[in-house]
Amino acid sequence: MTALSVQQLHKHFYEPVPFHVLRDLSFNIEAGEFVSIMGKSGSGKSTLLYLLSTLDTDYEGQITINGTSLTGLAQNQLARFRNEHIGFVFQFHFLLPEFSVLENVMLPALKLRKQSRERIEARALELLYLLDLKGQEYKKASRISGGQQQRVAIARALINEPAIIMGDEPTGNLDSVNTKIVFDIFRQLARERGQTIIAVTHDDEFAANCDRIIELSDGMLV
Amino acid sequence: MNINQRIATVLLTSRIRQLLVAVLSVTFGISMYIAMNGFMAGVNNVQTEMTFTAMPHLKVYNDLANEVEAILPPPSDSQTVLIVNNARNIRYTEGIRNATAIKTAVRDLDRVMGVTTQLNENVFIRNGVSRVSATLSGIQTQSEDQLFRTTEYLTEGDLFELDRRANGIILGTGLARRIGVGMGNNVTVSTSEGLSKTFKVIGLIETGAQSADRTRALVSLQTAQQLFSKNKNYATEVLVNLHDFDEAREVAAQIAPLTTYKVEAWQEGNGQRDSANVLRNSIAIAVSLTILIVAGFGIYNIMNMTVNEKIKEIAILKAMGFNGGDVIEIFLAQSVAIGLLGGFTGLGLGYLIVCIIDRVPFDLGSISTLPMQYSATDYLLAFSFGLIITFLAGYLPARKASKIDPVAILRG
Ligand SMILES: Nc1ncnc2c1ncn2[C@@H]1O[C@H](COP(=O)(O)OP(=O)(O)OP(=O)(O)O)[C@@H](O)[C@H]1O
Ligand SMILES: [Mg+2]
Repeated sequence: MTALSVQQLHKHFYEPVPFHVLRDLSFNIEAGEFVSIMGKSGSGKSTLLYLLSTLDTDYEGQITINGTSLTGLAQNQLARFRNEHIGFVFQFHFLLPEFSVLENVMLPALKLRKQSRERIEARALELLYLLDLKGQEYKKASRISGGQQQRVAIARALINEPAIIMGDEPTGNLDSVNTKIVFDIFRQLARERGQTIIAVTHDDEFAANCDRIIELSDGMLV
Repeated sequence: MNINQRIATVLLTSRIRQLLVAVLSVTFGISMYIAMNGFMAGVNNVQTEMTFTAMPHLKVYNDLANEVEAILPPPSDSQTVLIVNNARNIRYTEGIRNATAIKTAVRDLDRVMGVTTQLNENVFIRNGVSRVSATLSGIQTQSEDQLFRTTEYLTEGDLFELDRRANGIILGTGLARRIGVGMGNNVTVSTSEGLSKTFKVIGLIETGAQSADRTRALVSLQTAQQLFSKNKNYATEVLVNLHDFDEAREVAAQIAPLTTYKVEAWQEGNGQRDSANVLRNSIAIAVSLTILIVAGFGIYNIMNMTVNEKIKEIAILKAMGFNGGDVIEIFLAQSVAIGLLGGFTGLGLGYLIVCIIDRVPFDLGSISTLPMQYSATDYLLAFSFGLIITFLAGYLPARKASKIDPVAILRG
């Protein structure tokens, strides 16, 4: 089954100078596939991920996720779709600094309201333990290290068990041990639960162990 | 608490100082609104009360005719010159002949609280050698008291003694001092016709209105009618009080057709008092609303700062699937919380200020502390204005927050 399908995708920036960032991208990703996106800095990886995650709607072409065509949907519909089907780990691990680590992880699920608070909390704790964050649950998100924050962001992306998890250098700040933990989690989610993983990475070893590598160069597929 | 309210609470309480400033500005505005309006209304009430100690809401009396008929018709041709020297408007009748009938007719009207008749004449009052001019009022004690609460202003004696003693007289305290008499002394009253009669002082009255206290003398209506040789339907004035003095003009118009005499509402000739009340009320409302609006600007400013400060968090929330409506709810909830907090503390503080003002000593006539009116409507209005203003002040920043494009922020 095709989890994500991109057809003739173009993206332009007009400020400060007109710039054609992504040029005519077309590819499919199957459900349960673990895909790396690689490419030089500035090649358009983050830009592509913002488009795939429906945050950026200013493009030409067609994006379809799980059979739902997302092109042209209203903002509120997209918000609802993101909440339920997409988990996102940003390049700079953005957490809400006033909330505890645990609350940060729970937020998307509390918004989705498909489970009781207790179930959500139990699941969030489980994810935090899995990511070696035991003991940090009740600390404020602003009071933990960068690598820990990145892992909290990963836990948050997983809480709603989204069909697609997108990460923009999700292991960029992690040591080899934690990188391995995250990689194994992704691997397991893809294999056992059929969740699709799309991760931008500069880590050759990480990429080498994925199912497939999509390489970008100057906004084009290689 | 749903997730949006929870987020609002966390964002709000993470900046206690700003929260406090915002809440205090609303508190201040609302308490000022309550205190100012209560005080102004209190002042107005005292003014009104003082005004109506001697003045009725409506008065029927014999006035000069307003429209004077021309003595001669205008000349028909341009060759004739018409000269009239020293034309005068003469009153042919004195006083009101059918005062009792008017009183009965007026008394049965809906909005009328009480009616009394008076016979007022200028007289001289003498105590041996000292002789001063005064206004002698023949009054109906029962209805007079009902209208003006006259008994409350008697410093000595009993108003109803007048009915029992035909030679009894009650003098204003200033008047008694001027001619040097006290309780139980005799005074002689002489009319402009040259008639004289001796009265015994059986009471003293002080209303606080100096000019009245220095010239007023009260006798019973019958006594006055005898003194001036008038029949028992005669009076110079029929005085009417209403349940609501603001209706005086309408009731005057209602009474006018019942009689040929002039019917005058209190506002005529007292326009300045009426407009002073309106003016005071407007100032109170303007000042307190200004304070509330300034508080509103403060909240607008604080909420705007919050939105700018939390722009990253807003972007994250939107990226996680919170929509524009959620963001509006999160920020509007914060300003509404400020409004409610400030509103309730404002009501409390307002009540406190009102109580304090009410206890500040201030001696003037019948009052001993600063005047204050306790009005539930003021509290309700202040609270609603406070809420409306915080709502508006919060809505604009909230809408701005909801329009934030997360990609622009998250790209860094
Ligand atoms: N808001 C913007 N306005 C104009 N140009 C932009 C904007 N954001 C990115 N670009 C340009 O688009 C290109 C792609 O940027 P992008 O962030 O996608 O690179 P990247 O592949 O993620 O790089 P890195 O590996 O350093 O994160 C870059 O040349 C960048 O200068
Ligand atoms: Mg990037």
